[in-house]
Amino acid sequence: MTVFMRRSSQRAKKKMADAMNVGVNLEAFSQAISAIQALRSSVTRVFDSLKDGMKNKETLEGREKVFITEFQDNLQSVNRDLNELERLSTLVGRPSESHPLHNSGLLSLDPVQDKTPLYSQLLQAYKWSNKLQYHAGLASSLLNQQSLKRSANQMGASAKRRPKVQPSTLVLPPQYVDDVISRIGRMFPDMSIELFRPNGTSAVLLVTLGKVLKTIVVMRSLFIDRTIVRGFNENVYSEDGKLDIWSKSNYQVFQKVTDHATTALLHYQLPQMPDVVVRSFMTWLRSYIKLFQTPCQRCGKFLQEGLPPTWRDFRTLEAFHDTCRQ
Amino acid sequence: MGVTCVCQVPLAEGKSVQQTIDILHKKLEQLSAVKQGNFTVDCETYHATGNGATTPTKLLYVMHNSETPLSCLALFEGGPCLTADGNFDVLMIKLKSHFQNAKGHKVESRGSRYRYCDFLIKVGAVTMSSSARGISVEVEYCPCVVPGDCWNLMKEFMQSFLGPSIPELPSVFATKPEGLYVPADCVDTMTQYLELFSKVRKQQVLPGTTR
Repeated sequence: MTVFMRRSSQRAKKKMADAMNVGVNLEAFSQAISAIQALRSSVTRVFDSLKDGMKNKETLEGREKVFITEFQDNLQSVNRDLNELERLSTLVGRPSESHPLHNSGLLSLDPVQDKTPLYSQLLQAYKWSNKLQYHAGLASSLLNQQSLKRSANQMGASAKRRPKVQPSTLVLPPQYVDDVISRIGRMFPDMSIELFRPNGTSAVLLVTLGKVLKTIVVMRSLFIDRTIVRGFNENVYSEDGKLDIWSKSNYQVFQKVTDHATTALLHYQLPQMPDVVVRSFMTWLRSYIKLFQTPCQRCGKFLQEGLPPTWRDFRTLEAFHDTCRQ
Repeated sequence: MGVTCVCQVPLAEGKSVQQTIDILHKKLEQLSAVKQGNFTVDCETYHATGNGATTPTKLLYVMHNSETPLSCLALFEGGPCLTADGNFDVLMIKLKSHFQNAKGHKVESRGSRYRYCDFLIKVGAVTMSSSARGISVEVEYCPCVVPGDCWNLMKEFMQSFLGPSIPELPSVFATKPEGLYVPADCVDTMTQYLELFSKVRKQQVLPGTTR
């Protein structure tokens, strides 16, 4: 009987705990709590009377009778309280079936909410990671629509048969690269291109455009990897005499042109014919010879926030301010 | 160190030198230019006391610029010029017998220096023997080195804060529009300052100007 009582009181307590997620019928809830207290005290009384044993009376029968009646009364009160509790527990309500965090939901029972807000933080973290997963799925489906590889790489082979061969356009003999660059350099009279190989086989070009700017173009075989644009009067060499390919220009206009040049080298893409790409990029860069002389095609002014028109359209090579381009 | 244009700004209607300078500062600050300290440009005149001088005495000008604090520039008007370090002044004292300092003719321009995007703007009060004679404005467009390329651009910028009183192309530029501007020793800038100071020297003292 005691086991039964303990189990049922535990079941009732669990229902109370689950009821927190439902939050209905608080009146029945508080009544149920007091019913639990009543049940506990009546159970305690039973055990107390058992512990105390028979009271001192004259005859053995009298003592036994008194003991038995007392015991019965106590058990009946326990029964009453238990029935009351069961009635109230049905009123309190069913727990919600959807447990978003399953066992972690029990963290919400922690009373010290201010010092360790674990549950609310946990909920936020789950919401955020679900949203992130959703957005990542959308982004990957959008990005996969357009192939973003600039080199002609056949990566469709199965994982077992890894092609050890590098794609043909990435491994070009340096002599070929030199020839292509010198041919392009001869195409434009006001642009001079010098080729260096400071680190291994990657070419680094120093392109001087008239008296306007100097560009350092870092290549990987015939693909343009990176570019940095500086003014004509700025120093392109670092202290140890090597080409300085990292420090930005001191002038805002050339920092802007560097950003545009990076956009251009990502725009001009033709995986099978990299020399055409280099030629298009150089043609685009050459349009900067009149960086300070051309007004913007859209607003007609020279300056916008202190900058001349730094954007050159990729098809028409017209000059626009960065804020004026479509 | 780029293309520099120096010009003189007329005083605003009924205002003194200092008030006009304050107006210019306010206009620059409205453009969101940032003040970056002060500048000084000065010019001393020396008479060449030549022997048996039948030719008119040539004037030697020794100029200093706070942009290049360790150098000074010596030039004849329209003639050759020399860039030397700071000790040149001491040398001139030693050459007292050949060059006499015209003490009353020292002109200088002092004021604040502003930076706006890639432009450097210096607005200064031109004073000669402690009397304010006018206002000089120097605008430098740092990224460009060819004056012919960016003159229109600079004109548009100067119009934004100087208003209608925009100068015409300085004579220094007219001679070499496609040539490389020589920034390293500021010769072209100082030549322009010299022209401005000569003009100021010839002017009468402005009526009602305060110190």
